[in-house]
Amino acid sequence: MTQGLILVLIVVGAYLAAHVVFDWLARKLVIVSGAEYLILGVLLGPSATGLIDATFLQDIAPASALALGWMGAINGSRLVLLRLVRIPALVYRVAFAESLITLFIVGGLQYFLLSWLFGLSPDRAFAPAVALGAFATLSGHAGIELAARRSRGQGLLVTTLRATTGANAAVAICTFGILLAFGHPPSTALSRPITPTEWTVITIVIGVAGGALYHLFLGEENSVDRMFISLGGVLILVSGAATYLRLSPVMAGMFFGMTLINTSRKRNEITAALSRVERPLYFVLLIFAGASWRLSAQSVWLLPVLLFVVARAVGKFGGARLAARLNDVLPTLGPDWGVALLGQGGLIIALSVNYLYQDTLALPNLVFTTAIISVLLTDLLSGRFAASVIPPATTTMTHPMPHRAL
Amino acid sequence: MRRLIILVLMLGGMQLILPLGARGYGGQWLLIFGFLIVAAEAVGGLSASIRLPKIVGYLLAGLLFGPSFLNTVDAESITQLAPVSSLAIALIAFLAGAELRWSELKERGVLILKILTVEMTLTFVAVAGFLVAVREYVPFLQDTTFPVALVLSMMFASVAVVHSPAVTMALLTETKARGPVARSTLGVVLVSDVAVILLFSGALALARSVAPPASASAGGTSLGLLVWEIFGALVVGAALGGVVAVYLRWVRRELFLFAVLIAFFGAELARVVHVETLLMLLTAGFVSENLSEEERGHALRIAMERSAAPVFVVFFALAGASMEVTQILVLWPLLIPLILIRLLALWLGTNLGARWGGASPEERRYVWLGLVSQAGVAIGLATIVADLYPERGADIRTLFLATLAVNQTVGPIMFRYALSRSGELNEDANAESDEILSGLAGDTGEMPVATVAESSTPLPPQPA
Repeated sequence: MTQGLILVLIVVGAYLAAHVVFDWLARKLVIVSGAEYLILGVLLGPSATGLIDATFLQDIAPASALALGWMGAINGSRLVLLRLVRIPALVYRVAFAESLITLFIVGGLQYFLLSWLFGLSPDRAFAPAVALGAFATLSGHAGIELAARRSRGQGLLVTTLRATTGANAAVAICTFGILLAFGHPPSTALSRPITPTEWTVITIVIGVAGGALYHLFLGEENSVDRMFISLGGVLILVSGAATYLRLSPVMAGMFFGMTLINTSRKRNEITAALSRVERPLYFVLLIFAGASWRLSAQSVWLLPVLLFVVARAVGKFGGARLAARLNDVLPTLGPDWGVALLGQGGLIIALSVNYLYQDTLALPNLVFTTAIISVLLTDLLSGRFAASVIPPATTTMTHPMPHRAL
Repeated sequence: MRRLIILVLMLGGMQLILPLGARGYGGQWLLIFGFLIVAAEAVGGLSASIRLPKIVGYLLAGLLFGPSFLNTVDAESITQLAPVSSLAIALIAFLAGAELRWSELKERGVLILKILTVEMTLTFVAVAGFLVAVREYVPFLQDTTFPVALVLSMMFASVAVVHSPAVTMALLTETKARGPVARSTLGVVLVSDVAVILLFSGALALARSVAPPASASAGGTSLGLLVWEIFGALVVGAALGGVVAVYLRWVRRELFLFAVLIAFFGAELARVVHVETLLMLLTAGFVSENLSEEERGHALRIAMERSAAPVFVVFFALAGASMEVTQILVLWPLLIPLILIRLLALWLGTNLGARWGGASPEERRYVWLGLVSQAGVAIGLATIVADLYPERGADIRTLFLATLAVNQTVGPIMFRYALSRSGELNEDANAESDEILSGLAGDTGEMPVATVAESSTPLPPQPA
């Protein structure tokens, strides 16, 4: 039997088993599924059974590159300006303050640890430190939605949590995209090297031009079939262009999704078309990420991983509390509201796979291992973390809106 | 105009991006793939605006951007994108099989067999007879004895009778035509795939005995192997169809992912057990559709059509990119009469067969127009001939590919014309399809985000 055949059989079997079991667990124990596919990937990959080898991983790399762009587009499509302007400015202040505090705490600590531990020059240590800072910023929204629905909570706390996960994603994607622009290998095709600012602009232009191309391409098309082909085609083009140029397909995808959703009258249809293949691509990405995992060659790899987990917890917990206190909403949100942000979500996998693709950045395996461990540690329980913070609907709704929010 | 602007912008964009990037991690593969989808869709839209089938636009886009003209999609990219073609063939075959209901086969089976028997026999005789008659001008028949010329002509004719399930299915998917002309054409095209392989096996065996190949092992294709390719495909396909039916009965989730996996798995399985891919997946589609409740089978078909849509675009664009214009230009004096004779034989054979089977006047008049396209299995058969007779086989293959290029371009136009004239074109097809989709959204496991917030079930895993 060929490797492809074995892989399909195993993936289908494991997928069904995992899906049935985890659906039941999600209902009963407030557990968010996803991490099981990561474990499955690790088990299938060269590090464990070797059923998926390096050549096969190379073969399916385009699918995972597409998944990165697609995830970026889904995140971008959540940024509907008409809805965003209805959220009080206070919520954004809290959300972005929390994001930046976590980014700087984890990024800063990692920078010093990696420089010292591996003897990296400041330039070399910068990329993994910033990447880990960006990863730490991310919070999964699935657990929050799960808990919010169970308790039917809709107050300021839930609004802030939703806005914070969105801000976390935007900050992480942009930070990571800019990082890739800074770490870009020099291009020999032009008479002068392209600057990091120009690479950043190129990333944004790819996404925005993709969005414009989609409109030009489709006009006022009503057919979901055509919409899906066009969306898929343009997104493949956007992801392919960004990957080919060694930029971030996640960031290009995010700008694509943002352009699309804010310039179209068919928001629901676009969102539906994007979400149609979200799950399959996400599973491919998780299995790909798990299979790509190799234990870091550095013997002291556990230390940065431990620091990441602890610093992130401190950043999320303390940063959230500090951000709320600075904006006078601590009594409303509660002192522990940051606990709900501890779940990592799947975007970290996308960004870490993207980091792995860059041959020139330092410590790729370490960064990737850290991301995987963080997902495994936090994702399963993200629903429980959120549920511990979000009170039942009646309690939430009775909280008065703070004065500054009005 | 808008579509032309898109094409110019995209070409400009590609010219800017290509020198700046680097290969690796599938970036270039993805870039070319995306470019082909968008560019081919744009040209498809242009051809639709002048009432031509979109497939013709896809083929022309491939031709325009392929190695013959602009070379944006070079030969290496075509090779890299070959898995997309395999996936497309698998999806097409499964969808085609799923289109056939047992009750309909019982009702139409005799008619289909009668049409097929007459049109195939007439086409085979006409093409072989024509080649023998003009053998002085046919590159691979020059300087041969009459018996050798006859068997080689018969071998060519056995490939020339092939139709194209891919074009038929793609056009039926595009137009959502469901009338008697569409059903009879589909039936003839699908059953002809089995008949062609049998006919080819016979012609091959005859050719081997009359004109033995230079090396005994040349070609490596024995009759036993060909028989296994056909009947093995039926057995393995039926087993796979049974598994799909069980899945639809007991699990029925993630149909979009399942559809792609089944196509990929089926293509891979056919390769491993050496059976005919098209026939195997066709059988699988037929068995699964007929063993499942109608609603469930329909849900899988919708999911498959959705996943196949972009794959079809690229499949036909790649087919266009693979066309070698120079061959057509060199061979045109032989090509034009050959194509005309095939068309004449198709028209006459189908008409007679339809009369014999008591078909409706529309079927008698228009079904032959749906049988003009050629692709798929024909290329494989032509390659077997080229392998078996290296000196003459290459010429046979060249002539055949040139014929195929013309038929593949003209065929969809003629089929669409037939559907239009018989009143079976469904202009509201897309709206209907969307209604079905919205009705099945929950069933197929693809929950639109807009409805997630109101749902009472746990959230699916989300990437952020």
